[in-house]
Amino acid sequence: MPTNNFAQVHETAFSKTGAAEQPDDEWILTAKGVTKRFPGVLALDNVHLDLRRGEVHALCGENGAGKSTLMKVISGLYQADEGEVVYKGEVRHFQSIQDAQAAGITIIHQELNLVPHLTVAENIYLAREPKKGFFIDKKKMEADAQVYLDRLKVNVKSSDLVLSLSVARQQMVEIAKALSLNAEVLIMDEPTSSLTESEIDRLFEIIQELKTQGVGIIYISHRLDELRRIVDRVTVMRDGRYVSTRNLSDITVDDIVAAMVGRSLEDKFPERTSTPTDEEIFAVHDLRRDGVFENVGFTLRRGEILGFAGLMGAGRTEVARAIFGADPKSHGTVTLGGRELAIHSPVDAIEAGIAYLSEDRKMNGLAVMMSVKANITMANINAVSNRWGMINNSAERDAAQHFVNILNIKTPSINQIAKNLSGGNQQKVVIGKWLFRDSRVLFFDEPTRGIDVGAKFAIYQLLDKLARDGIGVILITSELPEILGMTDRVVVFHEGEVTGILETRKTSQEEIMQYASGVKRMSC
Amino acid sequence: MSITDTIVPDRKVKLNRNDLIQKFAALAGLVILVFVFSLTSDSFLTTSNGVTLALQTTSIAFLGFGATCVIITGGIDLSVGSVLALAGVVAGMAVKEGMPVTLAMALGIVSGGACGLINGVVITRMKLPPFIATLGMMMVARGVALQITGARPVSGLGDAFGELGNGSLLRVVEEGANGFPKVVFPGIPYPVIVMIVLALVLAVVLMKTTFGRHLYAVGSNEEAARLSGVNVVRIKIGAYVVSGLLAGLCGCVLMSRLVTAQPNEGVAYELDAIASAVIGGTSLVGGIGTISGTVIGAFIIGILRNGLNMNGVSSFIQMITIGLVIIFTVWIDQMRNRR
Repeated sequence: MPTNNFAQVHETAFSKTGAAEQPDDEWILTAKGVTKRFPGVLALDNVHLDLRRGEVHALCGENGAGKSTLMKVISGLYQADEGEVVYKGEVRHFQSIQDAQAAGITIIHQELNLVPHLTVAENIYLAREPKKGFFIDKKKMEADAQVYLDRLKVNVKSSDLVLSLSVARQQMVEIAKALSLNAEVLIMDEPTSSLTESEIDRLFEIIQELKTQGVGIIYISHRLDELRRIVDRVTVMRDGRYVSTRNLSDITVDDIVAAMVGRSLEDKFPERTSTPTDEEIFAVHDLRRDGVFENVGFTLRRGEILGFAGLMGAGRTEVARAIFGADPKSHGTVTLGGRELAIHSPVDAIEAGIAYLSEDRKMNGLAVMMSVKANITMANINAVSNRWGMINNSAERDAAQHFVNILNIKTPSINQIAKNLSGGNQQKVVIGKWLFRDSRVLFFDEPTRGIDVGAKFAIYQLLDKLARDGIGVILITSELPEILGMTDRVVVFHEGEVTGILETRKTSQEEIMQYASGVKRMSC
Repeated sequence: MSITDTIVPDRKVKLNRNDLIQKFAALAGLVILVFVFSLTSDSFLTTSNGVTLALQTTSIAFLGFGATCVIITGGIDLSVGSVLALAGVVAGMAVKEGMPVTLAMALGIVSGGACGLINGVVITRMKLPPFIATLGMMMVARGVALQITGARPVSGLGDAFGELGNGSLLRVVEEGANGFPKVVFPGIPYPVIVMIVLALVLAVVLMKTTFGRHLYAVGSNEEAARLSGVNVVRIKIGAYVVSGLLAGLCGCVLMSRLVTAQPNEGVAYELDAIASAVIGGTSLVGGIGTISGTVIGAFIIGILRNGLNMNGVSSFIQMITIGLVIIFTVWIDQMRNRR
């Protein structure tokens, strides 16, 4: 049996053969050597994880490290290509979420999975409704659901419609559902991302309570500072691989970050080669969309990368979409190269030379079932067609191949459908689309979300190169290191207003946060 | 150009195994059907039956082409069966009013296009789901056709009106020894020629033109297309106009074959149209579909009807069979997508 000292990397259940065979084992769940492939991506590469009863085990890693994929394998949503999951001493191959749930493994996803038009009780007992003869026993269902809600001390009635609840309360409903499933393993994916401080406190109390009941909890969070309050052990993943498992008491937050990043922060960003000039190429004045944002103004100089910082929902994306004509605006002027533009639709913006790379590639940016070629030429198909609208195949091929080459897009061919590319390469395809369009100002909305570290670096290099070539680059990102590492100036948003425009060199993460949270604001 | 080489654009080079299964499942099904029916019935594999079969298939194909364009954008058009009746009735009544046949039929086709335009506008501007918008048009167009004719067939349209539906090219007739004419070669019916030309033209439009590319883009990811500067509204309206025009043409051809304008013609034809597209691999989710596939789909339905008829299978059994074929082929399609 393993000893109590787990400070050493790898000295955990999976390295002890035979440990899983003892029924009274303290290990409730062990994942050994799990490998999962997707077309073009190795999402998990020989990953390990073990969990004790009554333990909170944090799973840390950057976006794209493979945390969610591993959880999906454990909870039955995905099947591992290699490796196995040992649960309560038995090798299990869960074929579905229901399968895993029945065994006692429940996952609470970051995006909550509740049916908005049903009541809380109906959601908690969805697909396992208590019956009285042929009919649902509504009384019993609501009473039973209320017991779990009361145990969590949430002020929610089980007969309330889910759509009438705040996100925090919906989260509590998910936890109540997990309780009602008698979960022995509970996986929480970013549970605090949409909660207020007091709600987080309440959640942590609940987690403590579940611990004492012997529930094993896998806890995924980007908020490393809060780990200290509840977590026993930490497993770090990086680029789809297992890095280490440590007792939290033996390490510092910096240790975790170092393990997550795998290199120091300086190496994460390329050296900037472009320098801002005084020439103003793009300006926005007094932009407003009633009820969404107001009084937004900024300028962009040649050679400069301008950052948009702010918390979720601060209005950064909305501003970009309004400038691009994808959403309406109530008031304001947009000037490009000294000329005022009248933009009423994306077509107008694209004609003028403005491009917007949306934050959700698969939803808004990429036609995943179409080829790399068709995606690259999508915004400028007329350039490779004659006036009758006939596409010139060889011209289109040459154009697509050109951008595949210069952007170093890794694809077996330009005819490969975009779905089969990795996230980083998909992002490059979208960038290629806008470069082919000769765009003069590019809005990058969370361009590195969900792509691996190496690909991020390539995207950063590309941003720098674009700025050097005189193209206006606006980087919208929630990751402050990205702001500090890549931008020259940063526009900080707070609840639909610009609270500050700062020189990146002269500011700090803390100062940006003060502006982003509305504590400080520039007088203007 | 053979009908098998018009694959989804850009996927020719790297066809994977599952795509090939889908592509060839439909084609192989077609070949097997021909083989089976030629064994069970002596008169199946004859020139005259081949011509009849092709002629019977034209109406499914016309509507199926339109359905393909609409379904690629992620929409659906339930109105074509009624629209074809309206278009045919308009053409017939125009002839009755003394309009030359060509002009009258053009008017009929345009009225079909107008119905499609209304569908498109209702869907894009009033933002109604395509299912509802075209369901409404299905009833409205049928109602108009019945109202303007008083629910009576418009007959006495003259031989010229029947030329499009009944005439054929390269018909060879000899005078037999007994003095009766003997048909050496029945000729290629005009509707079949129209079908071939339309298939080629539309295949080129889908694969080689910006309009075609934008149809796929809108169906594949509407928001991405919009943010790329594709005029989504215009593309969608275009798809429904194409569907309406083809329904109008189909109506003129059908009425011409009867030399009578029937306001009750074409009931439930939209289902054949959708079925032919779906059997041919068009995805109801949008973004995927080919004209070649729809041609195969239309012929599978046509041959099933024709062959089962010749074998004396009741029309009820025919319905059951075609229903099963649809379920089976879409199941294969699902298998292809589930990976």
